[in-house]
Amino acid sequence: MNPLRRLRELYAYRDLVKNLVSRDLKLRYRNSVLGFAWCLLNPLLMMVVFTVVFTVLLTNNTIEKFPVFILTGILAWNLHTTALTGAINSVVGNANLVQKVYFPREVLVIATVLSNTVNFLLSLIVLFAMVLLYQVRLTDTLIFLPLVILVQVVFTLGVAFVLSALNVFYRDVASIMETLMLAWFFMTPIFYRIEDVFPVYSRLMYILNPPASIIAAYRDILYYGSITNLDFFTRTAATSVLVFVVGYAFFVRLSRSFAERL
Amino acid sequence: MAAIQFENVSKRYVLHHLRPRSLQELLVSLVGRKPLALETLEDFWALRDLSFTVEPGETVGIVGHNGSGKSTILKMVAGIFSPTQGKVTVSGKVSALIELGAGFHPDLTGRENVYLFGSIMGINGKEMKRRFDGIVSFAELEQFIDEPVKHYSSGMYMRLGFATALSVDADILLIDEVLSVGDAHFQEKCLQAIEGLQQRGMTILIVSHQLDLLQRFCGRALLMEHGHLVGYGPTDSILERYEHA
Repeated sequence: MNPLRRLRELYAYRDLVKNLVSRDLKLRYRNSVLGFAWCLLNPLLMMVVFTVVFTVLLTNNTIEKFPVFILTGILAWNLHTTALTGAINSVVGNANLVQKVYFPREVLVIATVLSNTVNFLLSLIVLFAMVLLYQVRLTDTLIFLPLVILVQVVFTLGVAFVLSALNVFYRDVASIMETLMLAWFFMTPIFYRIEDVFPVYSRLMYILNPPASIIAAYRDILYYGSITNLDFFTRTAATSVLVFVVGYAFFVRLSRSFAERL
Repeated sequence: MAAIQFENVSKRYVLHHLRPRSLQELLVSLVGRKPLALETLEDFWALRDLSFTVEPGETVGIVGHNGSGKSTILKMVAGIFSPTQGKVTVSGKVSALIELGAGFHPDLTGRENVYLFGSIMGINGKEMKRRFDGIVSFAELEQFIDEPVKHYSSGMYMRLGFATALSVDADILLIDEVLSVGDAHFQEKCLQAIEGLQQRGMTILIVSHQLDLLQRFCGRALLMEHGHLVGYGPTDSILERYEHA
């Protein structure tokens, strides 16, 4: 099928994406007392944990306004990790549907990533509250925030496409990713500053690890209140688009035999 | 133009036999040059060189013993499987009654599931809203439509699945062994609904072991045997061959 027709077909199924996203969000908080409040409480509690560890238990910390610093990192990372782990199982977990009904399979991955994105957007409320509380001086670079979010979503989608398709053929993917995500977490400047890393490594980190530069961009905007290095961010955006295109093509190619291999 | 056309279609499945391995075997393979086979592969041809056409507005039955390739044909028409060799041409939108309630989520209400299923079939929300009341009254579930479907009885579940799938406006309808839904009263209602679709000119493919149903609906039938098409003609004569095979 040619790419243009595939995209048009995907567009025809936009209601399915919408319904799957709302199903996800509804089910996530159904049968819980606090419901939607959890998407605010969770990041807040994580922030407290990290702040206690890095400012009370370890006292050699020189990072100012640590709660805001850590929260920008945690929220972005949470989106990354929840979207990816959810997406890896999105095709396998809907095996019954994939074997019984035809629809463009990428819908499952897109819906998982988007529902986690909605969750992320809601949790930004907490971040802005902390930004106000700690009197971070926001500048007009704030208008770049939607762009950074978009780049992150595009990158996550690309990786999610590859992993979810591979997981249909080798379930080992889901298992190994549990460990790899932990390694990825430590390799990304979330609870430390990238400036504190040995320069050779920090350079590599920026080049090889898009989440590192995405988180740096979030921090520039929401923590330092400074202009993010546009030149550099453009490169990250280009990498993300590339990952997305390759990932999507890979997924579409493998998706033909999903029904047989599930 | 034919509604469905199969030209020399073959379908191969690769069977993955997982072999239980002993530690000794593992060690031997580590030392030896022979790579360790985690699984052995075997080809299985579900369909072999199949050619037939179904004309628009025609209802065709498919009979054959278990494993003869009947469901594989339906899944290829639906676009779920792609052929290993040959060509499948389908003109028009396909709706599949392959498993009722596939895609229903137990924690969602009947109403939410109807809309979700509609969008799985590619129907937009506005259109679904228009059909919603018809679906609920056909399924006779007015009282329970806002209950989570996990509280439904299996009959209610099937009725809602059937009503929803049937409301899809398609050119081609695929039915796989799902005609025995609910009690006698509801079953007859379903059969009449299918007759209504026939009269509106829908092309229908039915897989069933209920021969009286095939006789009632199908002008022609396909007889399958081990992935080969062994007969295609008027339902009566095909069913006779099938029963005496």
